Formats: sequence, structure tokens, C-alpha cells
Amino acid sequence: MPAAAPESKTGYILDKLQSLSGVVPIGAYLVDHLWSNSYALVSIEKYNQVSGELQTVPWRIGVEAAVLWIPLLFHSLYGMYIWSRGKSNALSHPWMSNWMYVLQRWTGLLAFVFIGWHLYTERFGGHGVTRYAGVAQDMTNPWYVIAYLVGVTACSFHLGNGLWNFACKWGIAITPKAQHAAAWFGAAVGVGCTLAGIVVVLGFHYAWFPLGGYVQ
Amino acid sequence: MADKTFIVRIKRQQRPDESVRWEEYELRYRPHMNVIICLRDIAEKPFTRSGVESTPVSYDANCLEEVCGACAMLINGTARQACTALVDDLEKPIRLEPLTKFPLVRDLVVDRSKMFEDLKRTHCWIPIDGTYDIGEGPRMAPSVQEKGYPLSRCITCGNCLEVCPKVNQRDPFVGAAIVSQVRLFNMHPTGAMHSAERLEALMLPGGIADCDNAQNCVKACPKGIPLTESLAAVNGQVLVHAVKSWLRGE
Amino acid sequence: MTQPKIIVVGGGLAGLMATIRVAESGIPVDLFSIVPVKRSHSVCAQGGINAAKNLKGEGDSTWKHFDDTIYGGDFLANQPLVKGMCEAAPAIIDLLDRMGVMFNRTPEGLLDFRRFGGTLYNRTAFAGATTGQQLLYALDEQVRRFESEDKVKKFEGWTFLSVVLDDGGVCRGICGMDLRTMEIRTFPCDAAIFCTGGIGVVFGRSTNSVVCTGSAQSALFQQGVYYANGEFIQVHPTAIPGEDKCRLMSESARGEGGRVWVPKQAGDKRAGKDIPENERFYFLEDWYPKYGNLVPRDVATRAIHKIVFEMKMGLVGEPAVYLDVTHIPRETLDRKLEGILEIYEKFVGVDPREEPMKVFPAMHYTMGGLWVDNQNQATNVPGIYAAGECEYQYHGANRLGANSLVSCIYGGMLAGPAAVRYARGLESGCENVPGAIFERERVRQQDITDALLNQHKGTENPITIWREMGDIMTENVTVIRYNANLQKTLVKLDELSERFTRINLQDRTQWANQTLNFVRELGNMLILARVITMGALARNETRGAHYKPDFPERDDANWLKTTKASYNDGNIQLEYEPVDTSLLQPRERKYTAKA
Ligand SMILES: Cc1cc2nc3c(=O)[nH]c(=O)nc-3n(C[C@H](O)[C@H](O)[C@H](O)COP(=O)(O)OP(=O)(O)OC[C@H]3O[C@@H](n4cnc5c(N)ncnc54)[C@H](O)[C@@H]3O)c2cc1C
Ligand code: HEM
Ligand code: SF4
Ligand code: FES
Repeated sequence: MPAAAPESKTGYILDKLQSLSGVVPIGAYLVDHLWSNSYALVSIEKYNQVSGELQTVPWRIGVEAAVLWIPLLFHSLYGMYIWSRGKSNALSHPWMSNWMYVLQRWTGLLAFVFIGWHLYTERFGGHGVTRYAGVAQDMTNPWYVIAYLVGVTACSFHLGNGLWNFACKWGIAITPKAQHAAAWFGAAVGVGCTLAGIVVVLGFHYAWFPLGGYVQ
Repeated sequence: MADKTFIVRIKRQQRPDESVRWEEYELRYRPHMNVIICLRDIAEKPFTRSGVESTPVSYDANCLEEVCGACAMLINGTARQACTALVDDLEKPIRLEPLTKFPLVRDLVVDRSKMFEDLKRTHCWIPIDGTYDIGEGPRMAPSVQEKGYPLSRCITCGNCLEVCPKVNQRDPFVGAAIVSQVRLFNMHPTGAMHSAERLEALMLPGGIADCDNAQNCVKACPKGIPLTESLAAVNGQVLVHAVKSWLRGE
Repeated sequence: MTQPKIIVVGGGLAGLMATIRVAESGIPVDLFSIVPVKRSHSVCAQGGINAAKNLKGEGDSTWKHFDDTIYGGDFLANQPLVKGMCEAAPAIIDLLDRMGVMFNRTPEGLLDFRRFGGTLYNRTAFAGATTGQQLLYALDEQVRRFESEDKVKKFEGWTFLSVVLDDGGVCRGICGMDLRTMEIRTFPCDAAIFCTGGIGVVFGRSTNSVVCTGSAQSALFQQGVYYANGEFIQVHPTAIPGEDKCRLMSESARGEGGRVWVPKQAGDKRAGKDIPENERFYFLEDWYPKYGNLVPRDVATRAIHKIVFEMKMGLVGEPAVYLDVTHIPRETLDRKLEGILEIYEKFVGVDPREEPMKVFPAMHYTMGGLWVDNQNQATNVPGIYAAGECEYQYHGANRLGANSLVSCIYGGMLAGPAAVRYARGLESGCENVPGAIFERERVRQQDITDALLNQHKGTENPITIWREMGDIMTENVTVIRYNANLQKTLVKLDELSERFTRINLQDRTQWANQTLNFVRELGNMLILARVITMGALARNETRGAHYKPDFPERDDANWLKTTKASYNDGNIQLEYEPVDTSLLQPRERKYTAKA
């Protein structure tokens, strides 16, 4: 990819943008996306109302492209370029952080495939308008459920571990203690997202509204 | 009583362009042996286990007390210094290979001049005015010395580069050792006046952004240098410098 | 004449300092070293570097440093340069500090100093317990800076073989061998500065590094440079015995309060830490109340020898005594001695913060070396200069701890400018020397190498010869010397030299052939061993590190003089020259006084 001129700082800037884009907007969007989908655990009406609002923002295509697709495409493609520049060696040096390095890459790839498919089926495939019934219909297919579980877990892991990476690579967490704390923070986000995702998927599958109780 | 013996397997290559062969030696065990003693034993009797005459194994070593950095190699697959690798602690047969991230010279000898070149590229020195007597150096808080001293113990062995997934033929990454040296010089009162030069150098290809945080370096460092701390700290410094110089021309 | 050309051989502290000084004056330098200079033996120095900066309110002065050095060296050193060194030392420390050495600090942010052997003052600046490493790196960085400005060109991985002498016996260049391609080549220069370090490998196992063979010094000696005071070999009292190397436990361990002892009861089988205080014999403190554990090295070494061999009070199972730091707070140990305690831990597998260390003396340093004049670091051959451990100037009959680093740097500081002055003063530079002169030397060296490569009938193993040489040298030419044994040593050296002619070079390849290089060095070592032994045999007195029980007193009337060895057609001759004692009158050297 970017055949940066030998002595130029372009590579540095692109690396930093790739790193940043993982957190904002992509990471932030992932959290938000799981949040809005969690309304499915409240009630059908609430879910349809929230997603209806999201699907009717003005300049929708432009906004989505700017805050989502372009950053995601950049993050992913440039991420694969970064991946190609490394030579993982977790088999010969099986330290935990080294496995994380490997997993960060494979989960990224999984996420890429999953998101592509997810966009194709949910966003562009039909109508561009998602309603509870449509999703629930999809989720009756066990392959869909498995794909979603894997995809959501991969995305969440990638985000959680990515936050830890981010904290180290932007000089936010410097001392081993701080990096340790950042790792726990990342793990919490990762696990939180994974759980939320799983519950939402199962909610659709079983038409289950565990959070509905609040909104009487 | 028959002498206790053990086996050493060595990956040998006469020249960079020649083929690789593995040789096995059976050596007489003595207490407190290290890998260097094994290699000397072989030099004294260069006959493989099957009795074939070979040549003494080429390897680098100088201080024999883990402060010169010369003797790094892969021992049972682990990047480490041969002089502190005690036979008692190693699984047998002992397997010796050259480091893989540096051009091979012969047998266990590799060419690590890349590291010295990178120290040059990143201006790792304090630019003094001259050697004439111009009085005392700057004062330094003991707390700064206590942070800097561990960094200054880097022996340029290259183990941290060897284990780094981002140091390889495809990527010119300078590696943790060099970044940690940049941190050291940026910490010194005089060195800090020139930190911009070093930080700029680390924004170029092979610079700090190549670090992908696999954090292997810190585990391989024989001197226990807090490399991941250095990487994070310098990452922050470069970023602040980049933003400041872009926004405010500083 | 055009720009002069200077070559420096050796990139330890001395060589790097010389390089910096020459480059600083705007003259380009070619720097040769076997190992990348950052891996030179100077990295091993642990304890520190002396300078009477008197920052502890003790009333220390450069004169007292001078007096301690001369007295510690048993009055054998020429005094004017030693005085110059002691006077320059505080500024040298400042310079190193400016170069960024991470010296330990006081709460005020000033340099901290510790006490070393042979003095009563806290005079030793230190950077943890890896001072030599820190100093070497500081100089290495400065040289790298010059290198990036194209003022220095490094030839790392080259070994020096010989100098190129013109028909008038003037040095016009050097001949070296690339240790990778095995190419032999000459390099013209107007002056060459030699800083090739110590000679520990001659003694087989020592505290020195692998490249400290003295091969370069021996080669120069064979080409006409005098070798002075070779018989003065320092044996360090406290090292961890080892088969490949004896690892030093620096004097700084005692400087920080470490104590040397043995059990009062010979043959006591308990572990060191289980032996109660009142059953320990602190023999150094007992015998030398004033200096205690910090008597000079020769004195401590002989005391340990006496305990172990004469009094049979050594530790059970091995010739060793305890060096104990377990009573010092852990925090202090980690802050000031971590580097060396780590060595003990890694090689012995025991934590010295918990258990006393087992140590024994080991060959450590050569006071003797290439002869240089007492002003310019110039040898007797025009154009050849020397600095650092490879020359003899600063330490007399015994070196004080932490004085070597300062002498290396001071020597380098003098040698650089002196070589430049000499080169500028030459009527005709090396560029006017006929090529045939260089070719002659190259061919001579190539022939030696070819002869080794082509010798197919050899039976002798180089490592075996080296071991035997090391063993006999250690046994007879270190702590205690008897003339009969020295004579035997010379006979053995004859035998080894003869066997050397039948050496079997097991490796005849022409690429990174380490055996070839080692064999060439071994040949030179055998000659150096002879110089050392002959000097020791001749000197019938006891002075500093040179101890002859049959001649137990210092004999100023006959032996207050410098040994100068020279080489003519395979014969080694000794001559002597008076010592310059113009500043301090020799007095009796005694460390037994009360505190
Ligand atoms: C374990 C130990 C601890 C010590 N601690 C202290 C201490 O605390 N304080 C103190 O003052 N002193 C100490 N010393 C002594 C001091 O370290 C040495 O005397 C000093 O470092 C020697 O420096 P140098 O520059 O003369 O040589 P070195 O540092 O030995 O450098 C020699 C250089 O010459 C090169 N060279 C050698 N032969 C050739 C050749 N044939 N061709 C090309 N290049 C060659 C080598 O590659 C190297 O670069 C210690 C010594 C030891 C062994
Ligand atoms: C759900 C979508 C994604 C999110 C939320 C996300 C998030 C992140 C985050 C937060 C980081 C850490 C940034 C840093 O290293 O400083 C990161 C890094 C990375 N991501 Fe993603 N990412 C996503 C998708 C992808 C995809 C599709 C790929 C493509 C394979 C990818 C590849 C990478 C790579 C290679 C890194 C670099 C890791 C490193 O520098 O160590 N990511 N991502
Ligand atoms: S940082 Fe550690 S592993 Fe890396 S070169 Fe320095 S001493 Fe070796
Ligand atoms: S020989 Fe110096 S580090 Fe091993």
C-alpha cells in the first residue's frame, strides 16, 4: 500500500490515523451500535422506534460514509497492510501479549468479514430499513446466530484489546502498572461488549425481553 | 565412574550463501558449565558425535559476564546470552542457533551493525560543546538518575529485536532498544534540548509507529530494561512533538 | 603536507578518548577494533572512577590522590604524569558527566562518591556497579556522533597485525586483517595510537574479556617497541572462580561496607549465614585496622592466600573466602551494587543479599605494558603512541582500584593531541611513502597466515596449548613467585613455543575463521608470557604486586627502576631505567597501622 517516500512522515501519520480510527469513530460506533440494539431487549416498539430514528437521519448516506464506512475501510485495509509487515512468532515465543498480537489480527479479519456480510444482509441487502421482525426472522436461522456470536465476539475482543494497545501506543498508559490497568479496562470493555452482543442476539432468537420490566 | 555427558546440537552454516547443516556433539559434563564452555570444548575437540571431524564453531563472545552483549543466540529456541546460559538449567539436548533477524555471517555469528546504524540515525548522544574543561555538568535529581540508569545498561545484544514480530526483512523497525535509548537521551538535561531531532527521526519509516505492542521485547531483555515503558513514553513524546510542531510550529 | 592521517587501534576507554580528541581537532581518524567498540572490555569495569573532587567535606585533594597512587604503586611509577592525571581527574569526571553518564547522585543532585581500596577518602564516582560500561557508552556515543559527521571511520571486526615501518624505522601505517573476509590489508597513517587493553588471556582464566590477549602489544614489541614492567600483574582478591572466566566482585562491594571473613574454626561445615558473628574471623580488619577491608589489592590478595594456603582456614571444599554484604540494607545494595550482585546470582545461582559470596583471587590487570615517554604517551618508535591498560605509565607496581578508568581516559586525552602534533610536524607524510614499503609488510603478514593455512601435518591443538600456558602462568607468575618456579615456567614456555610450530589449524576456510585469528594471537601471547616471566625472574625483591618470599623486602637500592624489555631477532633482553621520583620521596609502604 502507501508507498510512502522513504524519508517521509506519511507512514507515521497513517499509522496514527489507523490506530485512532479504531477507537473513534469505529470503536465508539460499535459501543453505540450495541447500545441501540440493546433496545431489542426492552420491547419491539422501543427497538423499532430507536432504529427508526437512526435510519432517518438527514444526509444518511453521507453521514454513514464519513463516520463509518470510510474510516472502517481505511482502518481495515491499512490494518491488513500493517499485519503484512509483521511476522508473528507466538508459537516460538508463546507469551500472552504475543498471542494477543496474533489474535488482534485474526479478530480484525473476522470482524471485517462479519461486518461486510452484516452490512450486505442488513443494510444494503433488503431495504435499508431494519425492523425487529426482520432481524428476528433472520435470527431463526441457527447459522445466522452462530455467525453473529462469532462476529460480535471478534469485534468486541478486537476493540477491548485495541483499547489496551491504544493506551500504550499513544503514551497514555506508560508505567507497567498503568498498562496493567489499561489492560483490565480493555478487558472490561471487551467482555462487556461481548456479553451485550450475545444477549442481544439471543434476545432476537428467543424473542426474549429481559429488560422490558423497567419500562412499564 | 564413567563421565556424565550431554548432547549439544548446533545449526551450522559456513557462509551466508552455503547450506545449513546440523551437528551433534557429545560433551563431558562439569558443574557450572555455560554454553561458552561447551563451544570451547568443541573447539578443542571438533569431532561430532558420530566421530566426523568438523571445524570449531564460530561465535561471538567477549566479556563472559553479560555486559558486552556479544554472545546473543538462540538457545533451545530462546533468544538470550550464551555466557549466562548455564548447562544445568537447560533442557538437553541443548540446541544452538544463530539469531534470525540479522544477516548471518557464519555459524552462530550474525551482523548486528543495523543497531549501531540506528543509534546514529536517532542521534543517541549528548551533543557536548567539546572536551575542554568547562566545568561541571548539569545537576540531576537522583530520581532522574534512578530512571535513566537502568536504560543506560542496554548492551545492544539484539534479543529484543529478535523476538519482535515487527522486526523483520519487510519492516525497517529500529526496535525497542533504540527507542529506549532515545528516551534515555531525552531524559538528560542537555539531551532534552535536542529531543526534537530524535523524535523527528522516530517519525520516519522504521520509527516508533511500527511498534505494535506485542510486548515481547521486555520479556527477552537480559538486563530487565523496562522497554514497554520506554516505548509508551516515547510514543507519547513523539505524538506531543508532532502535534505541537504541526499546530504551533514548535 | 596535506591533512595528517591518524589511526587509532582499540576502542576501549583509552582508544575512544584518543579518537574524540583527534576528531575534535578536525583531523579524520580511522578507528580499528576487533569487537564493535561498544563491546570493548572496558564495559566490565564495575566499581568506579577516581577523582579528588572533595564533595564530601573530607579535605581530599588531588595531591592526596597523587600520594595514594604513588604509595599504592610502591613508588615504581614515574611521578610527573601521575600527578598530571590526578590533577586532571576532577575535570575528567565533569566531562563524563556532561556527556551524560548516569552517575549516582546525592540528594542535592551532585555526584556521589564511594570509597575504594588504598585510600581513606570517598573519591570514587560511580554509576551503579557498571561504571565502566556507562563511561564506555558515553565515549562511544561521542564517537558515533563524529562518525555521523564523517570525521571518524570505524573498522570494527578488524584485527591489528603489525605496523608498517619505513626503512628509517618510522611508523607509516598499520597492517590489519578483516576477521570476516580474512583479507589482509595495509592502511597508511602518519601516527598510530594503540589502546589495545589488557592481557588477561595470557593467564588462561582471569577477570578479563576474551579479546584481552595482548597480541597487539606483543606484535609491537616484536617490531621494536619496548615493553616495560611486564612482571607487575595485579591479582584481584575477590572474584568468583570459573572455568571460562573468573568473574570479578568489585572492590565497591567492600567500599559499600562488604566484609571479608572465614570461619574461626577451620573446616566449619555450616553454611556461611548460619555461622554466628563471634565465630567469624574478619582477618583483613584484624590485620589491617586502619584500612580494614579496603587495603590495596596486592595486600588483600596475599592475605587471602595466606589464610587459604598457609593457615588452611579457607572454606570447606574449595579454595575460597567469604565476601559478605548480607548486613547491608537491600535497598542500598540494589541501588549501588545491583550490577555485580546480579552477576553472582546469575552465575552461582545464590542470592548474595541472603548468603555471603564465595570468592577467591584472580588475575585482573597488568600494570606493565608498552613503554611510553613521560609526557606524550609516545613509544620509542616514532609515530607509535599508546594509551590505556596496554601501556605501563601510571600504576607503578600495583594499581589502586578505580584508577585505571581515569588513567585510560587521561592517556587517551594526551595521546590524541600528541599524535596530531607529531603528524603535523612530519616533513613528509605517509602519502609519499613508496607503495613497496606497504606491500612488503602485507606480504610478510600474508605469508604467516598462508603458512598456518597450508600446514597440514600439525598435531597440536591451539586451545590445549593456550590452557597449558594459562595454567603455568597462573600458578607461577601471579601471587607468589619463586625463582625456581619461574625458571620452570620459562622451560615450559619453550616447550609450548616448540609445539606451537606444529599446530593444527583445524579450520582452513577463508571466511570468519576464528581459529586462524586465535592461533595468530596465541603465537604473540607466548612471547608476551616470556617477557612477563623473565621480568619477574630478574627482579629479586618484593614490590607491590610482585612478591617473592625469598626476597620479602622492597629493595630501592637495586630495584627502584623500570624494567624495559626489548626484542632483537627472537631474543628478549631486559634493561632498566631509573624512576622519576622527583615529587615524592619513597617511603616504606605499610597498611597495618591503627585506624
Ligand atoms: C572485571 C573488571 C573490572 C574492572 N573494574 C574497574 C574499576 O572499577 N575501575 C577502574 O578504574 N578499572 C577497572 N578495571 C580495569 C579497567 O576496566 C581496564 O583497565 C580498562 O577498561 C582498559 O581500557 P582500555 O581502553 O585500555 O582497553 P579495553 O577496554 O580493553 O579496549 C581494548 C580495545 O582494543 C581492541 N583491540 C585489542 N586488540 C586488538 C587488535 N589486535 N586489533 C584491533 N583491536 C584490538 C579491542 O577490540 C578493544 O576495543 C576493571 C577491569 C576488569 C577486568
Ligand atoms: C469492529 C470493527 C473494528 C474496531 C472497533 C476496531 C478497533 C481497533 C482498535 C481500537 C485498535 C487499536 C488501535 C491501536 O493499535 O492503537 C485497532 C487496531 C487494529 N485493527 Fe481494528 N478495529 C476494527 C476492525 C478492524 C478490521 C476489520 C481490521 C482488519 C483486519 C482491523 C485491523 C486492525 C489492526 C491490524 C490493528 C493494529 C493493531 C496494532 O497496532 O497492534 N481492525 N482496531
Ligand atoms: S534493550 Fe535489552 S534486549 Fe534489547 S538490546 Fe538492549 S539489553 Fe538487549
Ligand atoms: S560474552 Fe558479553 S554478554 Fe555474553
